Amino acid sequence: MALLELKDLHVSLEDGTEIVKGVNLKVDSNEVHAIMGPNGSGKSTLSYAIAGHPAYQITQGQILLDGEDITETEADERAQKGLFLAFQYPHAIPGVTVTSFLRSAINAVRKAKNGAVDDPIPVPEFRTELFAQMERLSVSRELASRYLNDGFSGGEKKRVEILQMAMLKPRIAVLDETDSGLDIDALRIVAGGVQELIGPNMGALVITHYQRILNYIKPDFVHVFVGGKIVEEGGPELAKKLEESGYKEWEGVPA
Amino acid sequence: MANAEAAVRFAELPVPTTHEEPWRFTDLRGFDPASYPVPTEAIGAAAASVLPDLDVAASAEVSEGGITIHADALPAGVRFEVLDEHDPRLYGLVGWSDKFTAHNAALWKHGLLVQVAKGVELEKPLYVRIANSVPGGALFWRLLVVAEEASRFTLIEEYASASPDLPGYTNAAVELYVEQSAKLEYVSVQNLSRETWHFATHHARVERDAELDWVAGGFGSKRGKIRIQNDLNGPGATSRVTGAYFADGDQHLDYDTFQEHIAPNTESDFAFKGALRESAKAVWRGMIRVEKDAQKTNAYQENRNLLLSDTAHADSIPGLEIMANDVRCTHGATLGRVNRDEVFYLMARGLSRAEAERLIVRGFFQDVLDRIELLPVREALGQALESRIPQAL
Repeated sequence: MALLELKDLHVSLEDGTEIVKGVNLKVDSNEVHAIMGPNGSGKSTLSYAIAGHPAYQITQGQILLDGEDITETEADERAQKGLFLAFQYPHAIPGVTVTSFLRSAINAVRKAKNGAVDDPIPVPEFRTELFAQMERLSVSRELASRYLNDGFSGGEKKRVEILQMAMLKPRIAVLDETDSGLDIDALRIVAGGVQELIGPNMGALVITHYQRILNYIKPDFVHVFVGGKIVEEGGPELAKKLEESGYKEWEGVPA
Repeated sequence: MANAEAAVRFAELPVPTTHEEPWRFTDLRGFDPASYPVPTEAIGAAAASVLPDLDVAASAEVSEGGITIHADALPAGVRFEVLDEHDPRLYGLVGWSDKFTAHNAALWKHGLLVQVAKGVELEKPLYVRIANSVPGGALFWRLLVVAEEASRFTLIEEYASASPDLPGYTNAAVELYVEQSAKLEYVSVQNLSRETWHFATHHARVERDAELDWVAGGFGSKRGKIRIQNDLNGPGATSRVTGAYFADGDQHLDYDTFQEHIAPNTESDFAFKGALRESAKAVWRGMIRVEKDAQKTNAYQENRNLLLSDTAHADSIPGLEIMANDVRCTHGATLGRVNRDEVFYLMARGLSRAEAERLIVRGFFQDVLDRIELLPVREALGQALESRIPQAL
């Protein structure tokens, strides 16, 4: 049984427009899958639908986590079961510090795991872990007491996304264009932070336009995603090929 | 203590209607202040406080039955006592020019004088609680505060009701004299029953180099109007007013603020934030007036509302009247809703919808809460706001 499985997944916008047109995919622990596609292919829609955004309606098919159907569950329940989406454009939450937000999120997940009974993380343990992860991801300590993503640079937002991932320890991470807006040094740190988490306890789905991030997060499988469908699959060599010849080969092909 | 002149004025004036500009958004139809009897005894238990466990220097409780003062350990130079109707400063700032101030001046029975002598500093706050307890009754309340030269202290005033749906009418008049180089922190929290009509006029005069730091919390009442006026009367005077309010059901809050710059080199900074649920309404009217001698004025006003339902409503009416030519005046008003994408972002981290919304609403208030210097008051108001955010919006 795969950790994350998409079965014939179809996703529509609220106005009924179908964006994702039947995706089949299995991701296991210790695996990195890359979904590569051009702009407008529906990559972000796919990631939002996996995470449970209410504006993206699953009209057909299923999402399974550890064999359990989570298609109808809300975003919080998916996160509590170990699904994590690193946002392409993380939202700012004024008035809520990174620290208090992270503690609330960790405690929400712990509560869910503890049969809906509060089981808050001890503050010293939380602080030790937070500061260790911040150092590892080169996030300045000052950011911990700032309001979440409020006035953060693009690079800071992406680092804080990965910091959240490191703190929440998901079982499956979906990264939506995590490389966009990052310079090479920041990309190395952020991608390195993800790579370290991948192992027996975590698998990842890396959604990207460019091959660049895959130099740091080594994919085991590459899926080419065009027009809302996976049009070709292969190993890491497929990413190199795309970098050289682009997506022309599949674009304009009727779906 | 009937003030005959005020009683005549009250009788002459009609209840304001929405044809008068200040009352345009606050309809008083169905309310007749003259129909409320003025009881002389309180009924039942004391009202609950939203500011629990404050360590205070002195306290007073006011109800229909009178005023009870606990002021055993006050240092010399601090008067915390029943207000004398012959006090020379009485009516100096709040007279009886309109219907509601006239009603108060005509009928008030219970008042408190807080006067702190020159140079005296109080570490612990002074506290007064005003609570109505008689169904269908009126409660008139008068507060006179004098911060003499270079004194420093904090006064906390809390309005409450003996039960959450007690019908009633409360009318308050508050005069604050902040003399040269004094610093007054004034906290006024209104948590009356949602069936209480509440009218209050708070007027402060701030003299040379004096500082007034004011916090207004609004949670209760049915409908009415709270007027807040600050006169910056001496060079170097500053005032800061921070407002936070939360209304739900069919509550209707109305804040009418007035920043009056009379002397040069004065500063005022008013920031009000509110969240509204269900069919609640809020009106905020802000006026900055800069008199012609008040050069180098720096004045700021803002009002930000967060609507938590489709039927909640807010009106913000900022205003400027500037007679001087070398001033800096800025204002802003916004109206927002909880953003669905923000809620999703937090839910995608495992927070339930209710927790996500609570965090967003709490965050909305954080910057006004951060302006409150007294930590226990800041925390208590934060909790009071949070407790009003329900499990599901």
